Amino acid sequence: MNITLKNVSFSYSDSLDDAVIKNLNFEIKSGECVVLVGESGCGKTTISKLINGLIPLYQSGTMASDVLLGDKNTADMTLAEISRYVGSVFQNPRSQFFNIDTDSEIAFGCENLGMDPEEIRERVDRVVKEFHIEHLAGRNIFHLSGGEKQKIACASVSATDPEIFVLDEPSANLDLKTVADLAGIIRFWKSRGKTVVIVEHRIHYLREIADRICYVKDGYIAYEWTPTELEAKGPEYAASLGLRCMNLEQLGETEDARLRGHDKKGVFASTLSSVIASEAKQSTTELIVFNDLHFAYNRKFPVLDIPVLSLPRNQITAIIGHNGAGKSTLAQVLCGLRGTWRQKRKARKYGAYLIMQDVNHQLFTESVLDEILLGMNPQDENAAFDILERLNLKDYASCHPMALSGGQKQRVAIGSGVSSGREIVVFDEPTSGLDYKQMLAVSATLQKLAATGKTLLVITHDPEFILNCCQSVIRMEHGKIAEQYLLQGNQEKLIDAMLNA
Amino acid sequence: MKLDPRTKLFLTIAGNSVILSAPVIYGAMIVVLPAVLLVLEKRWRFSLLFSFLYAISAFSFDYLKTMDVGLAGTLFVSTMMLVSHVMPISVIFYYVMTTTKVNEFMAGMSKMHIPNKVTIPLAVMIRFFPTVFDEARDIGNAMRMRGIRLFSLRTLKNPLAILEYRFIPLLVSLTKIGDELSVAATTRGLSPETRRSCIVKIGFHVQDVIVFVYCIAVIVIFSLRN
Repeated sequence: MNITLKNVSFSYSDSLDDAVIKNLNFEIKSGECVVLVGESGCGKTTISKLINGLIPLYQSGTMASDVLLGDKNTADMTLAEISRYVGSVFQNPRSQFFNIDTDSEIAFGCENLGMDPEEIRERVDRVVKEFHIEHLAGRNIFHLSGGEKQKIACASVSATDPEIFVLDEPSANLDLKTVADLAGIIRFWKSRGKTVVIVEHRIHYLREIADRICYVKDGYIAYEWTPTELEAKGPEYAASLGLRCMNLEQLGETEDARLRGHDKKGVFASTLSSVIASEAKQSTTELIVFNDLHFAYNRKFPVLDIPVLSLPRNQITAIIGHNGAGKSTLAQVLCGLRGTWRQKRKARKYGAYLIMQDVNHQLFTESVLDEILLGMNPQDENAAFDILERLNLKDYASCHPMALSGGQKQRVAIGSGVSSGREIVVFDEPTSGLDYKQMLAVSATLQKLAATGKTLLVITHDPEFILNCCQSVIRMEHGKIAEQYLLQGNQEKLIDAMLNA
Repeated sequence: MKLDPRTKLFLTIAGNSVILSAPVIYGAMIVVLPAVLLVLEKRWRFSLLFSFLYAISAFSFDYLKTMDVGLAGTLFVSTMMLVSHVMPISVIFYYVMTTTKVNEFMAGMSKMHIPNKVTIPLAVMIRFFPTVFDEARDIGNAMRMRGIRLFSLRTLKNPLAILEYRFIPLLVSLTKIGDELSVAATTRGLSPETRRSCIVKIGFHVQDVIVFVYCIAVIVIFSLRN
């Protein structure tokens, strides 16, 4: 089924003057796999919503001209009708399932189409086999990991057997191993002659699947490449457009060369990094040591079992490992959110401060300044302004935290961590769903923070980010530390561990 | 063992009305049902704890309510009354919410010829409850890290601020999740206009009859005696 956008314009407001999409002509042929890339806010998600009918049927705004699925105009259909032809998978695994158990969820779309129950059961069984998710059948979805939820979402969409699949940043919350599984699912759809449209920041996993990569800028398609063409242009070219890297193995080599050649001169904060590098050489021996980090739901299966954890002071350490390796549990125990009463009490004194993946959960007050003051002496406004200054938030001091952009919110949360006076700051997936420039900005903030005397621990699945700002790596496996090493000289080892293991 | 969603609806309505309006002895007769049902769901520890707390609170309320026990005693008796009435209602809700699948519920409602316009929002509610707890826990964690605890000197001084700290982030994230959820549901063809099918077969069995007869019997005995 062909998808045709003819001279389409769309604006989220009442007039087309500030349109997100302007006179877009775009055609996707039946059976093609097209990836839409571009910086945040460029309009690529809007294009995906035009295809799955959420625009104009769900989202309010002003639209000119038509989107055709085959020969049908989406504006004349209902969302229920469109769902026969287009299946959508979204970014957030937590909010895209409607049922509580996996089997019902996979059947959900078919039930909505009013199919015969016998037929639905056959389809569910078939999809479960095709996707190799027998182990997930009959489970409570609330107990699944993000990656497993995302697989169930794909399976559910696949069960209704639509002609077109639209995926909006499906890999944003997944580790690299699960991303590989996702690539397998997309390859399977493609082999069945389905049309697949993917909006994505991480494109390395689509290297061998995509037919076209379209670079969206200001609501139109500025460039178009095949994956081979884009890869041939090299990582620097991709980075200059704000794109994530195309080939992770290449990433290891170039980053290695960069480190050796220029003494780690990143695009941002170059002097800062070299300061950190030289400081690191002086104080390699200074470590913060934690003893006896244990946690278990029941005695036989420890979730976390670390006798000694030593963190290099004033440096950024990455924690890698697959979902369920105990990374988040480690963070929670370090921050005093889990563990025995004694562990918690200790953590409250010397413990760490956690910057959550969803920073919305940790912003409470009515203004950015209050947010910083909450953790300290309220008379100390000067110190609070100092913190805001360092995080480039001074102009927003009186804004409501919820009115800020994602990156700004994250910096406010970091500010609250700084004002709490805790020495260690733990980050849970600070770069999920970010484009290249945003990732560099987070990396610069973290380096600044380390330079001002904090010790940072970053849980992440993002190799590009680790290479950009971390000094050492801890790999966890089954609740234990499998290995700990300095990043310098071990780049290839890191990428290998993240891809394979 | 599974109950039909319609039976669960009946149990919720009939059970709660008896617990709230009839003397404790009839309430106790109703409370047997969720206690047994939870055991059948292999939640026997929960069931035991619940029965134990209910027995204590119901007995002390019933035994002490006519006596002159002074101010502290009155406070105690009213607490016991609250526990013995509110707890079983919440437990019945808990049982229904955690054992009913969303599609079962929708199938049951459509068999009772209740329009989709009513059913779909209610179904979203079933899906929403666990989400609310998940989110609230995360927010509680974040507050603990900032040294804001539910019971502390600071909280007592300014209880409204705490309410605000807890609810604003909760509302913001729930609104976002609610929106994403309805997008996901509508793109998968959920709509008030179309007829759904359901892979779960629902229907009345022996266990449903037992629950119905038992509840009705309690209500009949209660109304005959009064």
